[in-house]
Amino acid sequence: MNTALLAPTPGPLTQLRRSLAADTLKLKHTAALWLALGSGALPVVLYLLIFYFKGQYLVKAGQNPWPSYISHSWQTTAGLLLPLFVVLLCSLVLHVETKASAWKHLDAQPVGHLATYVSKLLVLLGLNLLAQVVFVVLLLASGALLGLLRPGLLFSDYAPPVAAMLTLLGHTYLATLGILALQFVAALWWRNFVTPVAIGMGCTVVGLALLRWEYIDWVPYAEPLLATSKAMVKGKANTLTVAQVFNQTEQLAVGWWVVVLTVAYPLLRWRQQRQ
Amino acid sequence: MKPDELLIETQHLTFRFGGRQVLHDVDLRVPRGSIYGFLGPNGAGKSTTMRLLLGLLPAPAGAVQLFGHDLARHRLGILARVGALIETPSLYDHLSGHDNLEVTRRLRGLPTGRTAEVLATVGLAADAHRPVRQYSLGMRQRLGLALTLLPDPELLILDEPTNGLDPQGIIEMRELLRKLQQEHGKTILLCSHLISEVERVATHVGVIQQGRLLFQGSLSALQRRRHSAAQVVIETDDALRCRNLLPAEFGAATVLSPGTLGLPYHSQEQMAYLAQQLIAAGQPLYGLRCEQPSLEQSFLHLTETALAG
Repeated sequence: MNTALLAPTPGPLTQLRRSLAADTLKLKHTAALWLALGSGALPVVLYLLIFYFKGQYLVKAGQNPWPSYISHSWQTTAGLLLPLFVVLLCSLVLHVETKASAWKHLDAQPVGHLATYVSKLLVLLGLNLLAQVVFVVLLLASGALLGLLRPGLLFSDYAPPVAAMLTLLGHTYLATLGILALQFVAALWWRNFVTPVAIGMGCTVVGLALLRWEYIDWVPYAEPLLATSKAMVKGKANTLTVAQVFNQTEQLAVGWWVVVLTVAYPLLRWRQQRQ
Repeated sequence: MKPDELLIETQHLTFRFGGRQVLHDVDLRVPRGSIYGFLGPNGAGKSTTMRLLLGLLPAPAGAVQLFGHDLARHRLGILARVGALIETPSLYDHLSGHDNLEVTRRLRGLPTGRTAEVLATVGLAADAHRPVRQYSLGMRQRLGLALTLLPDPELLILDEPTNGLDPQGIIEMRELLRKLQQEHGKTILLCSHLISEVERVATHVGVIQQGRLLFQGSLSALQRRRHSAAQVVIETDDALRCRNLLPAEFGAATVLSPGTLGLPYHSQEQMAYLAQQLIAAGQPLYGLRCEQPSLEQSFLHLTETALAG
């Protein structure tokens, strides 16, 4: 038998770097990428129109309009659109492999299963962040546009609270991690598009229906709305104040993320070897 | 390295799927530089064996050796030297052919130039920038093969690579495989249920049926086996009459048709003697030939024997 030495196995970081390089290329021309880039526009356009036509009822005369504009659009986004976005994003990204029947191909490459798992997760975290950053940028741009179109609302007279928005972005981002982990695992477990999306949509509706439940903080699908509401405090002079400390809801979301991803990895390996 | 060195070796490879025994004691031996045709009907255990060889299904430690190393211990190091096409090619329809290759090139950390090289090898350079969703079945199959060639592997594991190809595509694929073996020194494990396909390119053959390896050896060993089953076919006017006239020579013959007799083949001298006797007895001789069963018939014979046992 041949006793020739095999090439040394690349280190875990090299494997991860290679997986990421491949995974980012796969995003080209995908619905996942367009969803991440475009999903922020929907709530922004909606509130742009609402404030354009009915702004006088939503902003007190002579006051800074930014806090009201931001809190209205942010709550709608975090409450319903963001959970649904994460549900759809996870399935779209992972379905790229399923549709190409590429899981077996990936498993036959000299890259470990953990590198594949972490790489996909990082892609999702990145797209989730991209979508939320795009939302913030569009929100700022639309406020500036309202300043031009409806000078009476005084958008141009006040500086947008950029620092507060970035802190709020941090809160919202962390609060989505629980959903992201659950949907990521669901999409890997069923490896089809419909099942995890149906489960995710169902859970989002349940989360909203149970908002008054005493343990609602533990429901990941309600966490973006709860965390955002808790973090956002309207100041006295109608200023936007955002808590600097991470609240319990966000801690629970991060907890879900860590526990789900850790427990799911060996379970997924077990399941994949039986398919 | 010795020329008869084994690139793939399994020892008593057994696999259960749920309660069902899928593989029984399979001892696969694929020599370096061979095109090993792994033959069997659908559901015989070919795909399971391939998945075990790549570590996609867990094999017991020590049961699968590739390049002389235990797969269970050195999976990633071994996979770096293997190109595999399992069932249908894994292609991203939304990407171009070039980008599909680029994905795997990046994943394997290979030099940038490899993508263009393998595109040229499989003859897809001109269509490289078209989206794969526009590719014909044959082009997809060739792109799948290009994916396996990217790392310039010593071992190619190909599952039904001619699936869905038209006759011209099949010929091209066959020529490509031969070229890869002869000019580039690749070892190819070729899974197929098409006997005629394997017979044309393989140097070695393994036949699997119901999870058991029924035959394994060089193509010539299989042909020798067929040779022993060869028969002399005689075409004359009246087969029955010939048999009655010459009971010593044709007593054991079977009447294949009213004008045709068949006898087990022994030697060329036997054939000459039979011709002489027939003419001496005043019977016409329209044809005399030695017929060997096709690989297909041998294969059916092997599988039927297995079923009977």
